[in-house]
Amino acid sequence: MAAPVMKTVRGWSDLALGVRSAVLRLPGLSQVRWSRYSPEYRDPQIDKEYYRKPLAEQTEEQKFELELRKTQLIKAAPATKTGSVFEDPLISKFTNMMMKGGNKVLARSLMTKEAWGVLVHWIPWQTLEAVKRKQFEKYHAASPEERAAIERNPYTIFHQALKNCEPVIGLVPILKGGHFYQVPVPLSDRRRRFMAMKWMITECREKKPRRMLMPEKLSQELLEAFHNQGPVIRRKHDMHKMAEANRALAHYRWW
Amino acid sequence: MLKGMRRLISKVHKLDPGHVLHMGTQAPQSLAAHLDSQVSGQSPRAISRTSENDPAKHEEQHEGQHYSLPLQDMKTIFPHGLPPRFVMQMKTFNEACLMVRKPALELLHHLKNTNFDHPAVRYVLYGEKGTGKTLSLCHIIHFCAKQDWLILHIPDGHLWVKNCQDLLQSTYNKQRFDQPLEASVWLKNFKTANERFLSQIKIQEKYVWNKRESVEKGSLLGEVVEQGITRVRNATDAVGIVLKELKRQSSLGIFRLLVAVDGVNALWGRTTLKREDKSPIAPEELALIYNLRKMVKNDWHGGAIVLTLSQTGSLFKPRRACLPQELLGKEGFDALDPFIPILVSNYNPKEFESCIQYYLENSWLQHEKAHTEEGKKELLFLSNANPGQLERLCAYL
Repeated sequence: MAAPVMKTVRGWSDLALGVRSAVLRLPGLSQVRWSRYSPEYRDPQIDKEYYRKPLAEQTEEQKFELELRKTQLIKAAPATKTGSVFEDPLISKFTNMMMKGGNKVLARSLMTKEAWGVLVHWIPWQTLEAVKRKQFEKYHAASPEERAAIERNPYTIFHQALKNCEPVIGLVPILKGGHFYQVPVPLSDRRRRFMAMKWMITECREKKPRRMLMPEKLSQELLEAFHNQGPVIRRKHDMHKMAEANRALAHYRWW
Repeated sequence: MLKGMRRLISKVHKLDPGHVLHMGTQAPQSLAAHLDSQVSGQSPRAISRTSENDPAKHEEQHEGQHYSLPLQDMKTIFPHGLPPRFVMQMKTFNEACLMVRKPALELLHHLKNTNFDHPAVRYVLYGEKGTGKTLSLCHIIHFCAKQDWLILHIPDGHLWVKNCQDLLQSTYNKQRFDQPLEASVWLKNFKTANERFLSQIKIQEKYVWNKRESVEKGSLLGEVVEQGITRVRNATDAVGIVLKELKRQSSLGIFRLLVAVDGVNALWGRTTLKREDKSPIAPEELALIYNLRKMVKNDWHGGAIVLTLSQTGSLFKPRRACLPQELLGKEGFDALDPFIPILVSNYNPKEFESCIQYYLENSWLQHEKAHTEEGKKELLFLSNANPGQLERLCAYL
């Protein structure tokens, strides 16, 4: 229960490894989500820089950590966590959310990496490639003054677009007196990122024209969100307006 | 070594002892590469572009560098035949740049020293998937176009043996089949590539299309091509006539003929086409393939034949097959024997560095980490210096 939740928080907010509350394993209390690893297993350290630091530069704690890891049991690293310099956790999370039925190969090929044996390879099959080509087209068509303002890095566009889509405040249904009221509530970082990604994916899946492929639609939506326009931004604004309208119900929140 | 090499060596010794061999060119090239590496060791930044845009003047010192082709020429010389990803790259960068590589340099050397009184020599480019066989062929075609040769370029032999919607029984020979769509598309592109020759070459025989139409002896080749484009039913026969006339007249010395076929292993493989009674059709029963086989035989002189093997579009061949014996089969190998095999391999470190520099200059590699040494090492590892794989990797970085 607590262990998987702790794991994701660590992944996002970069807490020092090893800080882990002891999982309460009371007899008679079975956990709903549990890991096959017992509590003494530590998470793997994927970062190559951690191991390459020369001995002189390390502080006492880090030296102690390194020694400790030699004796302790370590979990296996997931297949998606590579030591690659090009790895981006946000892109991996987005790809996982786009995945259907465990078909990671398809999700990844739509997002980033192309499958080598693809027969139709004269249209960009990947979102990042499509975003890049569109921006290059705009760049070549623009005058020299406008060129400096055009962003061509697909990763910065992706990050900025999702950041623009994150709502500041959210609504939560709270049961009071037999009725559910939509109460405005502050959201955690994690929840906001999730909502932005979820809105983006649902928008692209549902409002897509019939013969358009997902990478094309996604690249369109990402570019619009980057410029603070488009349906996903509108949904965020709708959420803010609802929260503003239900301001009076804020007292129903007890946390 | 391949059977072809041994037979070629024995045959060439009989023909012309002065003919430069595949092995003979390796010694001066390795010396040049050694000197080159010494020079590049002093200036660590690899130079990725060269200002020498004429393929005739490309030498070993230009190896690994990109030269640019004017976009206007690209539309006339290559109406078909460029790899689709290269076309996308051309559109994105607004320029067309090809890398000068060793196989192409070798072929250029051979072509510059061809003796046009001897039978046409066949050169076969082979190699793993994605190593640059088609782009090397395009380099050669650009050279020949600049030297005013007549270019007979079949972009992909595999397109003619699969997915044909309308197969007609041939009017000329009842045993064979016509493919009107493919033939007319090819004729259109052939016309774009070789406009000036169509108004100069005259056919030497009378051909009758049907009861009412015929084309007289002495009329221009352009007329035959027009007839093939407008009357789609006769397009395959028009292609056959064009091939026959060009073969006959190239020996007269009016023009030089380059026959460039990409995916030549389609001519001797199997087809996926079936007759109405679901029985399979052999390639020689297709009129286009039959005529093309005659073209690729070396019983004419006055030009050269450059062929490329390709597993990517091939039918019923294993994925790992890349050698001539595996892809051509016994029949094809015997038909093409003797030929000069030219291996196209992955990038060497200098070419890899040059390719990365080219992408960086065009700001195609936008990821911050791609500029660092770590990033480059990782790209080398992931792509194994395979040009096609590297291009796909850099597309999303």
